[in-house]
Amino acid sequence: MADEYIVEMRHITKRFPGIVANDDISLGIKKGEIFALLGENGAGKSTLMSMLFGMYEPDEGEIYIRGKREHIASPNYATKLNIGMVHQHFKLVSNYTIAENIILGIEPKRRLGIFPVVDLKSTNEKVAQLSRQYGLEVDPKAKIEDINVSTQQRVEILKMLYREAEILIFDEPTAVLTPQEIDFLLQIIRGLRDGGKTIILITHKLEEIKQVADRCAILNRGKLIDILDVATTSTQTMANLMVGREVDFVVDKAPAHFGKEVLRVEHLTVKNRDNFPVVKDVSFSVRAGEIFAIAGVSGNGQVEIADAVAGMAQVAEGSIVLNGTDITHMDVRGRTDLGISYIPEDRQHMGLVLDFSLEDNLALKTYYKEPFCRKGILQHEAFSQYGERLIAEYDIRSGQGKDTVVRSMSGGNQQKAIVAREIELASPLMIFVQPTRGLDIGAIENIHRQILVERDKGRAILLISLELDEIMGLADTIGVIFSGELLKIAPADTLTTNEVGQFMMGVKQNEAS
Amino acid sequence: MTYLNTIIIDGLSFAIPLFIMAIGGIYCERSGVTNLAIEGLQGMGAFVGALAATLVSGMFAADSQAPMFIAMAFSFLGGGLYAVLHAVLCVKFKANQVISGVVINILATALTTFLTSEISTALFGAASNRFRLTTSIRLTVPGLSEIPVLGAIFTNIYPFELAIILVALVAWYVLYKTPFGMHLRACGDNPHAVDAAGVEVSRVRFIAVMISGALSGLGGICFAYSISVQFSSAIYMGYGYLAIAALIFGNWQIMPTLWACLIFGFARSGGFALTQVMELPSAFTDLFMTLPYIVTLFLLIFFSKSNRAPRALGEIYDKGKR
Repeated sequence: MADEYIVEMRHITKRFPGIVANDDISLGIKKGEIFALLGENGAGKSTLMSMLFGMYEPDEGEIYIRGKREHIASPNYATKLNIGMVHQHFKLVSNYTIAENIILGIEPKRRLGIFPVVDLKSTNEKVAQLSRQYGLEVDPKAKIEDINVSTQQRVEILKMLYREAEILIFDEPTAVLTPQEIDFLLQIIRGLRDGGKTIILITHKLEEIKQVADRCAILNRGKLIDILDVATTSTQTMANLMVGREVDFVVDKAPAHFGKEVLRVEHLTVKNRDNFPVVKDVSFSVRAGEIFAIAGVSGNGQVEIADAVAGMAQVAEGSIVLNGTDITHMDVRGRTDLGISYIPEDRQHMGLVLDFSLEDNLALKTYYKEPFCRKGILQHEAFSQYGERLIAEYDIRSGQGKDTVVRSMSGGNQQKAIVAREIELASPLMIFVQPTRGLDIGAIENIHRQILVERDKGRAILLISLELDEIMGLADTIGVIFSGELLKIAPADTLTTNEVGQFMMGVKQNEAS
Repeated sequence: MTYLNTIIIDGLSFAIPLFIMAIGGIYCERSGVTNLAIEGLQGMGAFVGALAATLVSGMFAADSQAPMFIAMAFSFLGGGLYAVLHAVLCVKFKANQVISGVVINILATALTTFLTSEISTALFGAASNRFRLTTSIRLTVPGLSEIPVLGAIFTNIYPFELAIILVALVAWYVLYKTPFGMHLRACGDNPHAVDAAGVEVSRVRFIAVMISGALSGLGGICFAYSISVQFSSAIYMGYGYLAIAALIFGNWQIMPTLWACLIFGFARSGGFALTQVMELPSAFTDLFMTLPYIVTLFLLIFFSKSNRAPRALGEIYDKGKR
């Protein structure tokens, strides 16, 4: 059995505080195959491969390389075992040339008189030759800061090949690429396999797996669900296995009563810092009494939509209209006053001032108004009364009541505090981004109930979540985002979980139906 | 004509020690560690060197140049060892690099002043706030020094200027041509890449900070010899900060930094010459001595836009973070 596999992982378990990232996973990878690891975000794919590359050590279980048990304590040792990894975030020195990056750490030397110097000339030649050999054309003398992301990725691949890697791990390699670049990369990966290399591909994109992988392991919440032969398995089946888990809770939901349109987003385009569009020509509207949920795999632009509406991200093109007022370029306070409540994704950075007291945090969006502030002087009494009322009404639990420093509170109670503050604004539009991330079951139910109460009060709600169960349970209307585009907008009761899951993977509409 | 000669001679003897201090700063900052400690490092280095020279001076003839070279060697070591403090604080304990730098400067001033007085009491039986040094000889190259105007470059050269140029050449070679230099510069841009390449970031940075201290110490003792022929707290004239300004205008590269140092050197000697040409009272000398700093201010306005600091400068590297 040991001979059959070049990499074998037996009963691997890895725990991080609070979660089991990998739970008793056993799998074997054959020499010369493309082996895919499929799973949603947080399923434990990257953690598993980080252990193979020596970035973490497993708490339990054993790793065998070429039939021999190995303790891979560092990436250096992994390199010695001819294992290479292309990380999701490239590790390149931006003011160095391609060749310099490739030889970093193992520089070849020559002598200049009596002085040893780094031999860049022979490196340039060797890199050029290597890049021709594998069809990865690069100019060895170009600087990293001057080349595009796809070329940078080629440099990372060449770095592995220069170090004579035989087992190549790609962590979400297509996340940053355009469709054409993806095709090219997949072709390269196939070429590497045909040249005898073993490839491990971490991804959540079904189409890519279907195109290149030989076998595929499906992970869900740290557990290995199945290992499948890709050629004989349909994308449908893979999607089912990946997202098809039991729906944990059924939310009691009254029938919807939609009112007038509150939010209208038209042709919205948002660019990231590299000037790359992450939201592309997105249009939708949310009515009073409606929960409009955006479903999608993390990093497809959904958070940027929420940020644009809340005023945290700049709008490149398009318009945002709230109750008839164009707010496309309005500042955040203006939007708050006009009626937007915002529960951000990162509650500790954007939602709270962690070292302030609970009462101060609860007044964070109203402190400058009466009764909290009179003639430019803060009214401590008003803060206290307001704080005490909200703590009682929303059941926010903490060590020292309103005077508790928010940092010391549990995540669930921190989130309760933000929700309380935002609901009290009584805004016509409420934006919830990942409102239950990292919370336990009780806190999740509590938040879900509150979202529904607000909807029944006639507020328009924009919900962004990575949890499909949450979206299926709460939404009246679902928009599915993939790669910055809203692929589908439809009433929630016309869609099944599997259909939404397929759109999230970028499977085209005609294939799904 | 004589004024021009003076400007060139004094300008060079000021610019060259400044240059070696700035190179030290480049080593430190290109590795990703902010260095505001150059002032303190050069002072402590100069103190150690001056102390060594004082201790050995009895063994040599009064006009011997040997104590000066011994002083230079000890300043190099002293600065390097004092820099261990900055390295330990910033690299090992990941302390705030700006605060560490400021503390090192304050500590150096206090320690050297205190120790100078204590040690001179012990040695000579009378408290003194300075160590007297021997006057350095000056070298003039026959022939070349006869060239009009440019001949001044080869006139009245301090021996330390030549030593520094030699050290600077080695520093340039190490930084740009050797694997260690490559690792060092990479650490200042993306330490994660260096780590992934199997090189220990903290080790590279630790050594870089020590080199920075050694070169600063060397610069410090040269100022002690050229400006006042003694070591006293007058060594803390802010030249360490000027070296930082020079390396910033030099865009953290050695050759452009040399030009910045020369501009500062000539601004200073030019300002001094100006007070003499205009026959101004000596009170004005101090005012004109501020010229390098005023030049700094103007250069800052024009150069700051095109400047690019090392990307990871001041960033504490944490291996665990991905």
